Amino acid sequence: MTARRRSHKARSIDRLAHIQAGGHLEEQTPRTLLKNILLTAPESSIVLPESVVKPVPTPQVVQTSRRESSRGSLELQLPEVEPSTTLAPGLLAPGRRKQRLRLSVFQQGMDQGLPLSQEPYGNADASSITSSLNLTFATPLQPQSVKRPGLARRPPTRRAVDVGTFLQDMQDTSLALAPPGDSLRTPVTTLPTDTVLEDTQPFSQPLLGRSPTVQHSLPCPSHSGAKDVERAVGHRTWSSGPRLQNSGPGKPAQLMAGKVEEVDALALGFPNTSSNISGEDGVEPLQNGVGEEAEGRMKEGLSMREVEEATEAQGSARAEEPEEHTEVTEAEGSQGAIEAKEPEGSSGDEDTPGRTASPELASSTPEFLRARRLQFPEPAPPPSTAVLTSEPPETLSARLPPRTRIPGPRPRQDPYKTGLNHYAKLFSFYAKMPMEKKSLEMVEKCLDKYFQHLCDDLEVFAAHAGRKTVRPEDLELLMRRQGLVTDQVSLHVLVERHLPLEYRQLLIPCAFSGNSVFPAQ
Amino acid sequence: MMEEEEGAEEQQRFSYRQRLKAAVHYTVGCLCEEVASDKEVQFSKQTIAAISEVTFRQCENFAKDLEMFARHAKRSTINTEDVKLLARRSNSLLKYITERNEDIAQFNLERKAKKKKKLEDENKNSVEPAEAGAVESED
Repeated sequence: MTARRRSHKARSIDRLAHIQAGGHLEEQTPRTLLKNILLTAPESSIVLPESVVKPVPTPQVVQTSRRESSRGSLELQLPEVEPSTTLAPGLLAPGRRKQRLRLSVFQQGMDQGLPLSQEPYGNADASSITSSLNLTFATPLQPQSVKRPGLARRPPTRRAVDVGTFLQDMQDTSLALAPPGDSLRTPVTTLPTDTVLEDTQPFSQPLLGRSPTVQHSLPCPSHSGAKDVERAVGHRTWSSGPRLQNSGPGKPAQLMAGKVEEVDALALGFPNTSSNISGEDGVEPLQNGVGEEAEGRMKEGLSMREVEEATEAQGSARAEEPEEHTEVTEAEGSQGAIEAKEPEGSSGDEDTPGRTASPELASSTPEFLRARRLQFPEPAPPPSTAVLTSEPPETLSARLPPRTRIPGPRPRQDPYKTGLNHYAKLFSFYAKMPMEKKSLEMVEKCLDKYFQHLCDDLEVFAAHAGRKTVRPEDLELLMRRQGLVTDQVSLHVLVERHLPLEYRQLLIPCAFSGNSVFPAQ
Repeated sequence: MMEEEEGAEEQQRFSYRQRLKAAVHYTVGCLCEEVASDKEVQFSKQTIAAISEVTFRQCENFAKDLEMFARHAKRSTINTEDVKLLARRSNSLLKYITERNEDIAQFNLERKAKKKKKLEDENKNSVEPAEAGAVESED
């Protein structure tokens, strides 16, 4: 018997060595550990208290050896703890509780790390006894999730954004600067809303803007990919940008100063009641800085801004946040972005409302916007869009500061300039090198002409077909002329390639349940 | 055999293209000579070749665009509207084309008016009773 045992020991040692050699490459998963156990388990009778093979104490082996030692000690114990392990039947005799127990032991061992394994084997029994007494099934979380896997993994429900409320919120939100600390939010979720809103903005026609959206959405995903980097870079470029763009149309040099100030004074309740981003009012540098960003970012905000100007009731900058989300993910790390989201006409009193609105729109805010908001004395907004529609009224009413809004319709120039400025900033970001102010102006001019042409073409195409509304067919024709749509590449292919799923669903007819096709053909 | 046919067709098309290109080249050359004598500048051969090549390609583009426009308007025939749409980029060209279009339209109207008159004259004499009958039958 001893000879047999010795041979077994030798074999197990060999096997153990083999495991050691091969196991270094393996992860220490329960499965591998179990396998190791099975391979190295020496066949010994239950009666023997210590039939443990003490291999060389490597981290891997230590576990197994400790297990084995504890196995031996466990044999002494009452078989109260019997972890239900399904060990190899060959090794597991019906009476071999030691092997069944081993699972719990090494689970415990894994939890407790390897300190126990360091113990001398002489004390192994005692230590293993104590350790075995401390047996814990060390995956407390696992059972929960196993019990209700669906709940654990269900993504947060998101409600569709109500555009009306959204606009309301936008106006309500103050020019609060969002704290830039939040780096957990992925803008991807807000991308569709943003691009939807973007769609409507630059052309003041809700249906238009597909091609710009295509162009615009292209940078957005890439933006979201490298948000942090972009933020850092963008912050720098943006900071330099305003400095260079002093002669930007309608943007006084205050923008620069304002931007710097913004960066410094985040947590202030912004007294940005007055003039907004467009910089025409340009009284407050902060505001201007914000406004600049708003212009840059909220190219889409054209119509929305106008609406906001009109109402000015409650500033929820959140409304713009989804829009900005795509832009926000871009290189702008400055905090003016939040303010940028403010409508140009909105005053600084929107700050607090905006802050209040932030919780609602948390889900839709891009990371750094929310990060900015966090700087405000607000609790971090819960990332749930579902809160969006419900919270705005409460928060707004609760925290609306008694600030006076500066009424006044904005000149039409501003929205256009804002949008173009935004694209110019995009341009400067992608250029990856500092750009002169004049070059940015030229870029803006070219973009302006380009979009004018675009819209004229669309209008003419629609009229050519005897319609007054621009339809996707007109856009397809335009893209064909542009060379984007060819005989090889159809419009749907481009949509699939570049647009997010939400837009794709709106554009490409798809069959849904109940034999319904949406959008209707 | 199919490939041979296709090859032969290809060659035919190619030679056709070449002939077209040659025609364009010749026309461009004539025009350039006129301009040269007018402005007292000279055109090198490469210039003329380049211009004719560009013209040819642009004509191809125009044709495709015209076809697209006609299809966009759900027509199978290319119309003057399509041509005007094509030429809208250049103001002077658009103006010119519009004027020509108006001239043509007017000319057509005049022609129609003349024809109508002729018809009416002829009809007055011989067709009146038939017309009356037709009118009664319509009622």
